[in-house]
Amino acid sequence: MSGVNLSGIVKAYGALQVVHGIDLNVAEKEFVVLVGPSGCGKSTTLRMIAGLEEITDGDLMIDGRRMNRVAPKDRDVAMVFQNYALYPHLNVAENMAFGLRIRKMPKDQIKTTIDDVAEILGLTPYLDRRPADLSGGQRQRVAMGRAIVRHPKVFLFDEPLSNLDAKLRTQMRAEIKRLHNRLGVTSVYVTHDQVEAMTLADRIVVMNDGRIEQIGTPMELFNNPANTFVAGFLGSPPMNQMKGVLTETGAKIGNTELRLHGAINGHQGRDVIVGVRPEHVTLAESEGTTALPINLDLVEPLGSEALLHAHHGEDNLVFKADTNGDINHLYGVGTVHVPAHLIKLFDAETGRALNLGA
Amino acid sequence: MSDRNSDVGGIPIEEVVVEAQEALRDRSQTRVPDKNWVKVLDHFKREWQIYAMLLPTLIWFVVFLYKPMYGLQIAFKDYSIFRGVAGSPWIGWEHFETLFTNDQFLRAVRNTIYISALNLLFGFPAPIILALMFNEVMHATYKRTAQTIVYLPHFISSVIIAGIVITAFSPSAGIVNTFISWLGFEPIYFLTQPEWFRPIFVGTGIWQEAGFGSIVFLAAIAGVNPSLYESAVVDGANRWQMMWKITIPSILPTILIMLIIRIGNVMEVSFELVILLYQPSTYETADVVNTWVYRQGLQSGQYDLAAAAGLFNAVVAFVLVMTANTLSRRFSRTSLW
Repeated sequence: MSGVNLSGIVKAYGALQVVHGIDLNVAEKEFVVLVGPSGCGKSTTLRMIAGLEEITDGDLMIDGRRMNRVAPKDRDVAMVFQNYALYPHLNVAENMAFGLRIRKMPKDQIKTTIDDVAEILGLTPYLDRRPADLSGGQRQRVAMGRAIVRHPKVFLFDEPLSNLDAKLRTQMRAEIKRLHNRLGVTSVYVTHDQVEAMTLADRIVVMNDGRIEQIGTPMELFNNPANTFVAGFLGSPPMNQMKGVLTETGAKIGNTELRLHGAINGHQGRDVIVGVRPEHVTLAESEGTTALPINLDLVEPLGSEALLHAHHGEDNLVFKADTNGDINHLYGVGTVHVPAHLIKLFDAETGRALNLGA
Repeated sequence: MSDRNSDVGGIPIEEVVVEAQEALRDRSQTRVPDKNWVKVLDHFKREWQIYAMLLPTLIWFVVFLYKPMYGLQIAFKDYSIFRGVAGSPWIGWEHFETLFTNDQFLRAVRNTIYISALNLLFGFPAPIILALMFNEVMHATYKRTAQTIVYLPHFISSVIIAGIVITAFSPSAGIVNTFISWLGFEPIYFLTQPEWFRPIFVGTGIWQEAGFGSIVFLAAIAGVNPSLYESAVVDGANRWQMMWKITIPSILPTILIMLIIRIGNVMEVSFELVILLYQPSTYETADVVNTWVYRQGLQSGQYDLAAAAGLFNAVVAFVLVMTANTLSRRFSRTSLW
């Protein structure tokens, strides 16, 4: 089993602890994405798995073997770096062969391996070129090729697409996904881009301030965020969060009461954060929705849909609405309709999701 | 009551600014393009501080490098200090003919090339090796101390350096001969024997300059992308492999540039150190073009002949640096210009 198991992993630099006891199981062939804001400890965690950072405390197991004191070269992992880490003085073939030469693989075997992987990645015409003569996307492919030729047990990706432009990033994202489906190698991928996380991951690990906030499939995290941080991090635009108080039938936000789905008996008067996804509201009233009056500030057209920037009381809100080819009708919007069953509640004090017997 | 600073004649100041910007933009779109001299003048007006900072360097170049070039013509004249540079008669290549039939000059040329070759062979790699070694030292305090110790000789005057060398190799009280005697051998008169001059001279040069010279290469090493090493570590490379396969190829452009500069100075063997260390008994191996020029020009008053020798030196250096630069550009894509 080429899985990765992290148990109580801690990283400290002197007195400063940056990763506070992480527990994570990555199953064989699984694609797990560590996502979070800058400085949350996701890259440090990945580097501890690679062996580039010493583990202060806890256990790291790869393929059932404890790896805390094992040298990076003996962990059988391959890493793709944010800036590709290609050797500028070597051509594409030599870059890809670097790790194999170090491991003294026979030359004819190296050539066969390089040719095979170059074919998979569409790099065959560029094998004689140096990195400086390649485009960003080609460099990225070479970096991946260098990892693939090693046939490692685990792939580690450290924000590999962050240096690419938006169009190329989308293209490479799909290539990584296809490659993973084809090779089926256990992968741990670090990014701060939630779109990358949502599209690539079998499971997402949301990190914040050196801790794991939530682990789950992309849709689990999107539909049932464990706390306000995850709710605010995943989704584009993120979930709207409004301060409210629970009543007998719903949640009161300012002078408006949003009807809620399910029983909230016994929780009346409790301070909560009411979460509403921007795309969950409708402009027309329908069954099971409550009207939320808003003051529209700005309409941002995106093509088929538009973002409505508005505020309700002191809360700044963003909603998505279909344009149907025209945005003029959106300027008059003064109310959105919130479906009761899609409203999320969080504890106002702890920020944790509330499940009040729904 | 309106705020006097926030409007102009009752119009909000933001609107006035926007209108002014639009008016300027319109005017610039319809304007005839400026003539070149106007552009140059505008450029100088805008950037005069930068040119003011450049001025001392320009003056230095003119006074110490370009103005003396005027005096080079005495290499082709029968120069007399009473007639001056302009008044002395032209004699063509006569001084050069004298030079190339002069055994002492030819010996000085041979010595210069020999010593320079030794310097290039041993003195050039020394700072690179030193920088690579410093790069491998992980203990910060030890590294800093070692660096300070090897940088130190650079800041000591050549006169003191020569004094230390003379004392160290003294046949009576020098540490080297004391050690030789301790081993049971006869003391060696190092500085009076021609065969010992070159090793001592080249060794002294390395001791004096290798540490300071390593700074350039350390800076180049510091510029190598750290993720190249991390990637190599994950690939299984050890420190030795990383040095050979990453560090050295990465600093190769710097090495080549420094080599080109060094080749340009091949004929400029450290004149003062030779003067301080040589003596008539070691002229056979120690006398270089510059010391020969010094003796002919200043001590014998043959300024024109010395100028010819100096010009020859400069032409050789120019050809060498051009050749090295061209070869480097062709084979490694690295060049000074």
